[in-house]
Amino acid sequence: MLRSAGFAAVFIATATAGVAEEFTWAGTTDPQTMDPHAVNSAPVLGFLNNVYEGLLRRGKDMRIEPALATSWEPIGAGEGWRFTLRQGVTFHDGSSFDAEDVLFSYERASDESSDTRSWFASVSEVKIVDDYTVDIMTTAPNPIFPDSISNWMMLDAGWAKANDAERPDKDNGNYATLNANGTGAFRVAVREPGLRTVLEPFDGWWDETEHNITRAEFTPIQNPATAVAALLSGDVDFINPVPIQDTARLASNPEVKVVQGIEARVIMLGFPHEAEALKYSAETSDKNPFSDVRVRQAVAHAVNVPAILQTIMRGNAEEVSQLVSPAMRGYSAPLADRPAYDPDKARALLAEAGYADGFSFGLKCPNDRYLNDEAVCQAVTGMLAQVGIKATLDAMPVQNYWPELRADNYDMYLLGWSPGTFDAEHPIRFLASTPNEEKKLGSWNFGGFSNDRVDELLPLIQSEIDDAKRQAMLDESTKILQQEVAYVPLYVEPLVWGAGANIDLTQRSDNFFILRWVTVN
Amino acid sequence: MLAYVIQRVFQSAIVLLVVGLVAFSMFRFVGDPVDNMLGQERTQADIERLRTQLGLDQPFPVQYFKFLQGAAQGNFGVSYRQGRPVSDILMERAPATLELAAVSGFLAISIGIALGVFTAIRRDGFAANAIMSVSLIGVSLPTFLIGILLIYLFSVELGWLPSFGRGDTVKIGGWSTGFLTESGLKALILPSITLGLYQMTLIMRLVRSEMLEVLRQDYIRFARARGLRDRAVNFRHALKNTLVPVITVTGLQLGSIIAFAIITETVFQWPGVGLLFINAIQFVDIPVMAAYLMLISVMFVGINLIVDLLYFAIDPRLRVDRTAAH
Repeated sequence: MLRSAGFAAVFIATATAGVAEEFTWAGTTDPQTMDPHAVNSAPVLGFLNNVYEGLLRRGKDMRIEPALATSWEPIGAGEGWRFTLRQGVTFHDGSSFDAEDVLFSYERASDESSDTRSWFASVSEVKIVDDYTVDIMTTAPNPIFPDSISNWMMLDAGWAKANDAERPDKDNGNYATLNANGTGAFRVAVREPGLRTVLEPFDGWWDETEHNITRAEFTPIQNPATAVAALLSGDVDFINPVPIQDTARLASNPEVKVVQGIEARVIMLGFPHEAEALKYSAETSDKNPFSDVRVRQAVAHAVNVPAILQTIMRGNAEEVSQLVSPAMRGYSAPLADRPAYDPDKARALLAEAGYADGFSFGLKCPNDRYLNDEAVCQAVTGMLAQVGIKATLDAMPVQNYWPELRADNYDMYLLGWSPGTFDAEHPIRFLASTPNEEKKLGSWNFGGFSNDRVDELLPLIQSEIDDAKRQAMLDESTKILQQEVAYVPLYVEPLVWGAGANIDLTQRSDNFFILRWVTVN
Repeated sequence: MLAYVIQRVFQSAIVLLVVGLVAFSMFRFVGDPVDNMLGQERTQADIERLRTQLGLDQPFPVQYFKFLQGAAQGNFGVSYRQGRPVSDILMERAPATLELAAVSGFLAISIGIALGVFTAIRRDGFAANAIMSVSLIGVSLPTFLIGILLIYLFSVELGWLPSFGRGDTVKIGGWSTGFLTESGLKALILPSITLGLYQMTLIMRLVRSEMLEVLRQDYIRFARARGLRDRAVNFRHALKNTLVPVITVTGLQLGSIIAFAIITETVFQWPGVGLLFINAIQFVDIPVMAAYLMLISVMFVGINLIVDLLYFAIDPRLRVDRTAAH
């Protein structure tokens, strides 16, 4: 009985081998909506990049390249940007793409009900010049505007109106939540939220086809062990991520391969710059040692990042000295060295600051947000103890973590930051600017770090058209943040993907899985 | 009789209300859903606006009362994550769990009773002893470990059965069934074994000990003395009398099969309500969590209520005492 079942399985396996272009893949998170303007989250935007397209897109090296716009140029002295649209592009339902759709997609994506509206904060107006030319006017010169809209996807105005989905509806959903009509290389054939999403190639796609897929199916698999088993048994062709502890085992298996790289996310330690006193200290309850830059420097020298990467990340991550990874635009190459691991220097700095005997404090850490986050915090706790400062680690699920940070319930915390614009200006705006609710600055600067020069430079960086001048200002900001030890950047998070040995694919550092670069051999 | 029924129904309703209250008081410890819902570029104002909109700024008894108001009208709210009515999502997911539970329950009862009878009759045989030893695995190993072991053996190593999911399903009305496709049936095998193994060993051990007890009774000896065949004695006289307590236990276990499907569903990525609940916890999707917990407690309370009423119907003493007291 079992044997005949086995034969049957073998027979089915060989029968399906003939149509090998069917591709199945699994990820931990199901994209919660098919609406490209409803939420601003990596699982959704990454998935929909296969279905929808923007005016421009990112290539294999993350550089922006023409997509639905063939070219773009600044208008005048930075009053805006002019985009020349591609002609002959059709949506999946056959209707054609033109300037009306761009204007509609702007209105939709910048609407109060859309989470992507912050991309258009600097936009004052979108003007249709002719059917295939659009001017996007900005309130101030915005050199990185094209970079910041690579995930702004184009929706067909007529389709949205006909289906009563003119605005995204996150709260109750609408037609666009479950259906899609983009211009991308794949169209959504089946959408069952939380179960599976089937994509089929779009015959009318404007660009040259690189892939050989005839049908692709995505299934969310939350349990990492199940995902690994599914890959090993050949039930899926690709999984993301591979648990760090399984990488070596998978790499040694000839039937699968591990694709490694680094992500855009920088993991760092944050401090309570503004706090009057420590909250979780046994003895130092009247002052805040971390407000002294020497103590922050001591922390930077006390953490042995190479050792963390070697043991906890199994050699999969790279250390970093600033708030963005080297792959990002505006990275300060001359400032690439992070403070060396030097416990003696750390102790000397602590003694100089008046803490020769050390002190105790509380370290807050998420335990399900970043790769091996809790283990990293445990290692940091051990390393800090060696120079005399004793952390009490409190690790918790991320949904409990953010409220704690917002309530200032920490003496030190772990944070990961992935710049949405892939530009060094992004973390300065969110993490290093003096918090200002009205100007939407420093909204993730929990510790309230504040430096006048950094605040002064930010608007200049945001509006500088000249690349060299802009880079000089970014370098200056980065240098200040390093000298002040606003944060202690530790490492760039690794990307570990697993695929069948017969799959060729391209890994992009924003962790987006781009189906049109996949070949099944 | 009527007074007793009313009293039991009333008690059940109170249990349900208390379960809901406890659930709602726990939700704030699960975390705050707004960060997940708003993404990276949210501002403090966005956070506060959303909290007000969702009613999270209100004390939990108020939130609970609003939930009850909606639930009384059959409206369980809208999922924070999917932006769709919770009742729609539950209806979509329920067939997967119910089919899995039905197959597991069937396997547990049929194999459990068969093996129980076998081990009782051949009490000292080698095979019976071997089955008894192996059955220890069923009671002692945790479900997720059994599931992962089965996946590694039958999917990764042997490649016979799918490692996850439900295979292809066929829609009949609003019900999606995996019974009608080959891949759907194959996908059922490993999860139903995993889910039913504990109940199977439990039933087997229960049947065995009850049967051994019954086989010692005088009427069995008399039956044998009358020269009845072994088969007639074992199955007509012994097994029938064994099944009374077995049916009681099995009925109560039915609820736990559905409730404990959570772990099996997570290991096998089985798209049922248990997996939905686990995902809901991860994303602090309070409407989904609340509806699931209420559903499960309604089921448990319902089963217990039925059992209580059955006892009342079966046991004459209960009836006499009650009527005498009134």
